[in-house]
Amino acid sequence: MSILSPEQQAIKQAAKDFVAKHIIPFAAQYDKTCEFHPYLLEASKESKIFAMAVPKEYGGLNYDALTQALVLEEWGYGCAGMGTTLAASVLSMDSVLVAGNDEQKRRYFTPMLNSEIGAFGLTEPSAGSDAGAGKSTAVKVGDEYILNGTKCWITNGGYATVYVIYALTDPAAGMKGISAFIVERGRPGFTIGTVDHKLGIRSSNTVELLLKDVHVPVTNLLGKEGEGMKIAMKTLDMARPAIAALSVGLAQRALDECVKHVQKTFVGKSYPGQTLQFKLADMQILVDAARNSLHEAMHLRDAGLPFSKESAISKTFCSDVAMQVTTAAVTLMGSYGYAELGKYMRDSKIMQIYEGTNQIQRLVISRAVLAPPPAAAVAQKAGK
Amino acid sequence: MNFELTEEQQLIGQSAREFGKQHLEPIAVELDHTGNFPKAVVNSLAKHDFLGLVLPAEVGGAEAGFGSYVEVIENLSRYCAAVASIVNNHTIAAYTIQHWGTAEQKKQYLPAMAKGDILGGFAIFEHGPTPGVGPDALVAVKHDVGYVLNGKKAYVRNAGEAGVYVVFATTDPAAGAKALTAFLVKADTIGIKIGEKVETMGLKGCPVADITFDNVVLPETALLGAVNEGGAISAKALAIASVAEAAQTVGIGQAAVEHAAAYAKQRVQFGKPVATLQAIQTLLAEVATDCHLARLGVQNAAVLIEEGKPFEVEAAMIKSFLVRLGSKMLIDTCQVEGGFGYSEFMPLPKMFRDIAGTNLLDAPGDFPEKLIAASIA
Repeated sequence: MSILSPEQQAIKQAAKDFVAKHIIPFAAQYDKTCEFHPYLLEASKESKIFAMAVPKEYGGLNYDALTQALVLEEWGYGCAGMGTTLAASVLSMDSVLVAGNDEQKRRYFTPMLNSEIGAFGLTEPSAGSDAGAGKSTAVKVGDEYILNGTKCWITNGGYATVYVIYALTDPAAGMKGISAFIVERGRPGFTIGTVDHKLGIRSSNTVELLLKDVHVPVTNLLGKEGEGMKIAMKTLDMARPAIAALSVGLAQRALDECVKHVQKTFVGKSYPGQTLQFKLADMQILVDAARNSLHEAMHLRDAGLPFSKESAISKTFCSDVAMQVTTAAVTLMGSYGYAELGKYMRDSKIMQIYEGTNQIQRLVISRAVLAPPPAAAVAQKAGK
Repeated sequence: MNFELTEEQQLIGQSAREFGKQHLEPIAVELDHTGNFPKAVVNSLAKHDFLGLVLPAEVGGAEAGFGSYVEVIENLSRYCAAVASIVNNHTIAAYTIQHWGTAEQKKQYLPAMAKGDILGGFAIFEHGPTPGVGPDALVAVKHDVGYVLNGKKAYVRNAGEAGVYVVFATTDPAAGAKALTAFLVKADTIGIKIGEKVETMGLKGCPVADITFDNVVLPETALLGAVNEGGAISAKALAIASVAEAAQTVGIGQAAVEHAAAYAKQRVQFGKPVATLQAIQTLLAEVATDCHLARLGVQNAAVLIEEGKPFEVEAAMIKSFLVRLGSKMLIDTCQVEGGFGYSEFMPLPKMFRDIAGTNLLDAPGDFPEKLIAASIA
């Protein structure tokens, strides 16, 4: 039984089939070699899945938020590294959806119809959780902007065709001086720096982006000058549930692998007792609750209702659940778990960190739940 | 109970710390990459008496006591928990021989083990639900000249490098685990085959592999303890091992929280070091607390072991505690270091992968809580 529409069920099934054929068989190999492999993009061409968030008028699949989450859960189930490739490309697109004009959308989305990918360049060495503390600059000269700076931990950076890069057009204005730009691959001065070697999601490509006097036309500015931070925050609101979806997939996978192992180990015998059985039950409780929190956030977004708080809650809860469930999987399955299930645990750790750490999410959530203290109490505390 | 370390324990712990700094820190990253057995380091460990630490002087051991031993394991684990794993598995094999071996067996193996001429391995687990009952359970059949062993042991640490293995086999497949019997099996015994090295997520350098027994003929003198005493022997040995593994967890956790605290002091976000944020302080404080309580548990069990008192319940409690909170020490310290800390160019990812291997539940029917619950009166 499912509360999903027949169309959503069909899309979920297609994603499951794709993952079974093109992702699961290669996941361990690319995790081991720590490389992104473009075959993934080649294999995705037919389904146009990298254009799943592209609106119909630009030739995309136009999936609603819930449907995108269904697809990403399947990808996370297969390999959170490859799932990250898809999620990060969608993330970069979201900035253009939020702030791009018609011409920019067409320009940015067209490559995605052909299974090319995008990258989102906000983070800098000095600007992680403090996203507004970046130092990259964009100086307007005639009908161009000249970009300089370094971006780090940029997913898909080495393989993207199009990028959304955030830089200061007015350094004195701080956060209010940030603007968002489309930057195409191959522009002179735009190069790839260090490729990161990570604890997990090793089949996704994470790099430094170096911008040295990179010229882009003024028509590459998204929205207006100084709107960058607002665009970035809206983008992250939209994109965070993707991490929740990958997390749900990861957690479900770890649980399924435990169940398979237990069934195989105890074939022809009775299960050893409630401790193990209840631990597996706890894992399923968490995974289901996580999925439900994600779907609630997606229903709100698809209904056009505010979903910032729910987006933050689902990202936090689902990634914490993934960490908890995958850790339990490794521990519970003993030496087998340590040998065979470690990838899920390694992959889960990043879910609590990227696209806004879970501490930043809790900041968002606590602001939403905790109204400012009553004025009288504040005055009293201040000794007035 | 006295929680002060004795002067001897402090000195031995300090020397392990210095050993770790000098011999383990420089090789830890490479060991993690290659997974090759660190032969030179093991030789140095032997020279520093770390391989015969708990063995009596008459066989060449340092006779240092279990309290000193867990100090050594914690301090080695600060620098490289994989090497501490090698020591633990060796020591647990030596401990078993010391406690259940005949005078002849002790003479044959312990001096060489104390000197590090041969390393020990401990082969208890199998792929089935419990040792002795799975489809490829290791079965020992009584024979005129001794025993013939057939079957397989799973995930044996120090496999391929050990000179002698403490091996548990069932003498009666119908009785399964109840008929477990311990044997001493030399690595060069005919019919033993070390399987392919198992790729683990961490603790690389401490080799793990299955061992297959194909008509392995053992003399009567290979029997360790009495026939069908293997269940009792392995329960006690594994309880000892879990205390030592907990010391590994504590060493990794302590090193990680110190690294994360130092990182938080120099990582500036929102105009000030993130160490000034309460969210970060809470993460660090909780890890430091868990680590401290785990260490007290380890020291408590170590004293009981040293004094020859029952310690199994306390050992189970530490295990239960660390099954819940061991890996969390690295999950939370990695969180403090954020995107930087997720990079394998930083030290915490290796510790994250290592610590996960120190609290494994390898007996699915036998959770530590069972023993604890039964002890509550």
